[in-house]
Amino acid sequence: MLARRVVIVGGGTAGWMTAAALTKLLPGRCEVHLVESEAIGIVGVGEATLPHIRAFNERLGIDEADFMASTRATFKLGIEFVDWGRIGDTYIHPFGTFGPGGGEVDFHQFWLRLKQQGIAVPDLDRFSMACTMGRMNRFALPSRDPRKLDSTFGYAYQFDATLYAPYLRTIAERMGARRTEGRIVTVHRDGETGDVTSVQLESGEKIEGDLFVDCSGFVSLLLDKTLGEPFEDWSKWLLNDRATAMPCHTAGAVTPYTGVIAMPYGWRWRIPLQHRTGNGYVYSSQFLSDEDAATALIAAVEGEPIAEPRVLRFKAGRRRRSWVRNCVGVGLASGFLEPLESTSIYLIQAAITALLELFPEKAISPLDRDEFNRLIDLEYDRIRDFLILHYHATERADTPYWDYVRTMGIPDTLAEKMDLFRRRGRVVKYREGVFLDASWVAVYLGQRVIPEGHDLRADAPSAESLVAGMQKLAADIHGLSDAMEDHGAYLSRYCPMKDAA
Amino acid sequence: MRDVVVLGGGLLGWSAAAALRRKIPALRVTVIALPPPPDALAERIGSTLPSIVEFHRDIGMSDGDALLRANCGFRLGTEFQHWNAELPSYVHAYDRYGQPLGTASFHNHWVRHAQLGSTPPFDQYSPAAAMARGGRFVLPDTDPASPFGHFEYGLALDIAAYPQMMRAYAQHLGAIERRGGFKGVRLDASTGFIAALALDDGQEIKADLFIDCSGPRALLRGALDHEFEDWSRWLPCDRLLLADAAPVAQPSPLDRAVAHDAGWRWAAQSLGRTSHGYAYASGELSDDKAARTLRGYAGADPQAPIALRQGRRPQPWLRNCVALGDAATMVEPLEWTNLHLAHSAIDRLVAMMPDRDCAPVELWDYNRQCAAETTRVRDFLALHYAASHRPEHFWRRMRDTALPDSLAHTMQLFAERGRLPFYEDETFARDSWLAVLLGQGIIPRRTDPLIDTVPLAESDRAMMTMRDGIARIVPTLPTHADFLGNVRRQAAR
Repeated sequence: MLARRVVIVGGGTAGWMTAAALTKLLPGRCEVHLVESEAIGIVGVGEATLPHIRAFNERLGIDEADFMASTRATFKLGIEFVDWGRIGDTYIHPFGTFGPGGGEVDFHQFWLRLKQQGIAVPDLDRFSMACTMGRMNRFALPSRDPRKLDSTFGYAYQFDATLYAPYLRTIAERMGARRTEGRIVTVHRDGETGDVTSVQLESGEKIEGDLFVDCSGFVSLLLDKTLGEPFEDWSKWLLNDRATAMPCHTAGAVTPYTGVIAMPYGWRWRIPLQHRTGNGYVYSSQFLSDEDAATALIAAVEGEPIAEPRVLRFKAGRRRRSWVRNCVGVGLASGFLEPLESTSIYLIQAAITALLELFPEKAISPLDRDEFNRLIDLEYDRIRDFLILHYHATERADTPYWDYVRTMGIPDTLAEKMDLFRRRGRVVKYREGVFLDASWVAVYLGQRVIPEGHDLRADAPSAESLVAGMQKLAADIHGLSDAMEDHGAYLSRYCPMKDAA
Repeated sequence: MRDVVVLGGGLLGWSAAAALRRKIPALRVTVIALPPPPDALAERIGSTLPSIVEFHRDIGMSDGDALLRANCGFRLGTEFQHWNAELPSYVHAYDRYGQPLGTASFHNHWVRHAQLGSTPPFDQYSPAAAMARGGRFVLPDTDPASPFGHFEYGLALDIAAYPQMMRAYAQHLGAIERRGGFKGVRLDASTGFIAALALDDGQEIKADLFIDCSGPRALLRGALDHEFEDWSRWLPCDRLLLADAAPVAQPSPLDRAVAHDAGWRWAAQSLGRTSHGYAYASGELSDDKAARTLRGYAGADPQAPIALRQGRRPQPWLRNCVALGDAATMVEPLEWTNLHLAHSAIDRLVAMMPDRDCAPVELWDYNRQCAAETTRVRDFLALHYAASHRPEHFWRRMRDTALPDSLAHTMQLFAERGRLPFYEDETFARDSWLAVLLGQGIIPRRTDPLIDTVPLAESDRAMMTMRDGIARIVPTLPTHADFLGNVRRQAAR
């Protein structure tokens, strides 16, 4: 028999994504009961996402334009990093490939070869649809024909996360999810097994369940407060432990990419939505006070602030296990990685997908639990290394903060990857994992990790034919992008927001 | 990197030379043409996996070259007989088993039916398996909507003609042949690198990189260290007998692997011959008895027994010497991975070609990928024993042996809920794992909850349609021999 009664502790993005997925995809297998308290509120700041979210929405049968209109969303083709390798540097980490994709030798190898021969070639981002469209502020949906150049980019969304949860709530409740409003005061456990049996609200009401999903955010009510699952602390590599967030009126362009600007003691996000721009300064409290961070943020934002800066506190790392006994942590309750590469919602989605695939019986098999934890660990660990790379691969020495991250020890798994890239531009290949080759290449080269050599197979064609091919490719990419609509115009035609803020 | 020396003049050495010359023309490649030793299985087993087709394409050869110049045929899979004494034989084809049905993967539907009682065997949902049983062959349909459009095929090599073709091709690409006997290696005292190899004519051959295709003895790589990871706990056969018999008129595209008291026996029909073999455990079966058994089936005298020590070098690449084929990994020919692993290593070597200094970080990545790949091949082969069901001591012992963690994980998760965990660098596709697991009678206790959305009656109907479609089409296809005949006739025109 399956775990019929699923209790989700906490609404917000994680809670409602879980509720919607379970009710939609496992109908009849489980009854979903979500408990949330409006008094607690949710973390949801303006959210930038990864392309994976499209598959999630599709599985739920969500219409893209309707969803975008409801969450006041914009398109996102990648992330622009400013001032990371050196002050004045800028690059885009694109969703999609460099070059036409396919082929047994990665495109950047041919590019490296020509550079190393001393032949002038355009910057690598000229060979990326996503980068080029982003720089030109254009958008169109990608082609589905893999032979076409305009199939070589992906996209995600930038949306108002406080609107995504209510949007999913409608779907989940339509599919039969129950919702109870109230603050949980006690978690009851079985005296023998230690499993959680029910949560009790202030009102005295007890909600019983077979499986509990902890979506309580940083509080981690079940995993941490109830079951005491230890936290693996990664703050020696990822030292930011605060963010101060503040939306403002959009004064610059509604860019089809997220801005990530390095700051003296961390970095600042810029997420343009249809009705406003989200901003935040992520920093380390060891180096910067909350007041100074707020002052710096207010000075940096482009338009008139819409609200006061709001401070969030966190610590980088994850629970040693995300699924303990009959409690599954989804989202911040199971761990936190700063939103530098927009992975928060992706990690929620990864946990939900794993839970769907490993949905337990009433008596939970350790096999299901262990496999779930193995999958989640893999996700966290690979993202962790990718994030650390951004800090470590820098020449900045303008503050003690940048001195620290530039010179800190890094995990062996990352040191090996960086060494390998420095030798001849090779990226350690994984078939699974959220960030694939092009992402690593973009960050390495964008942050001045320059290979000494290249893949010898890239020497096979003549320099003349390569140069000619590259010139044509860059021109084709430019031409395709140039023919596209302006991002803002596309939005107002495709998915204008439902009611103006 | 400039000068590369390949030690070994068999099909493997020449394949490595051809790939290197084709992909990195700046390399000077010299092949020291030692004849391969009889225990080099990558040189001796003519049944190959679909990866050989890809390998040929990568180096600029076509199927037609292999078929016409080297007398190759096609192969669609292997029929496993008596691995579970209570079940009929099953076919492992390189194909999709079943068509997508709802959001859960197809095998869940089959398992749901199997849990309720008897259901037609899993391999009836693979068009290639049905074709193979029927002795028929066509190339995959280019229409992705066709059920016959998803299989892959391997080649049945003529292992006498094939190395000659590869040698000619590598030489055409500019590889240089050097004849002579191997005398030894000279190491650089300060770096431990191989400075040169010495031939018995007194000549020394220097190079930046040495590729060891000399078989299990690993004449070059073995000069650097002797580390070896032994797999005999999980892969118990330590002897191999080979026997060649006359070819048959209608060679089957389906090889047979038959479990015996203390090992297993195979028969593979190709155009030039029918190859027979017997892998067994010497502790359970004498060479004489095994030879008598094999002679009985083959109708030909087996050659001298080959001693087999299954396992791998943890670091196939050390300093400036990389071991390929049996010099790197030795496994029994079950599932025909010997040449596949060598091809895969060649691809990796070409893709990762370092500078002269052979920096440890580059070798680390090569060795890491080789390790991940060979670990899962080991697991897949060991699965055949671990999931067996036979009464003899040899087989019962294998069922009671503690498995490697990664295989235990795979089998437990599958037995519990029909899920196959993901591992990097898998050689065999999920459907291959399913063919063997389900074919040998491991039926998961649960199914994927996502299957609920398709009612039982609906999947029943869909499955019947799939089986019928396959069964109706197969008899209309040409036999393997007719197909090969057509290829030849067309080429002659």
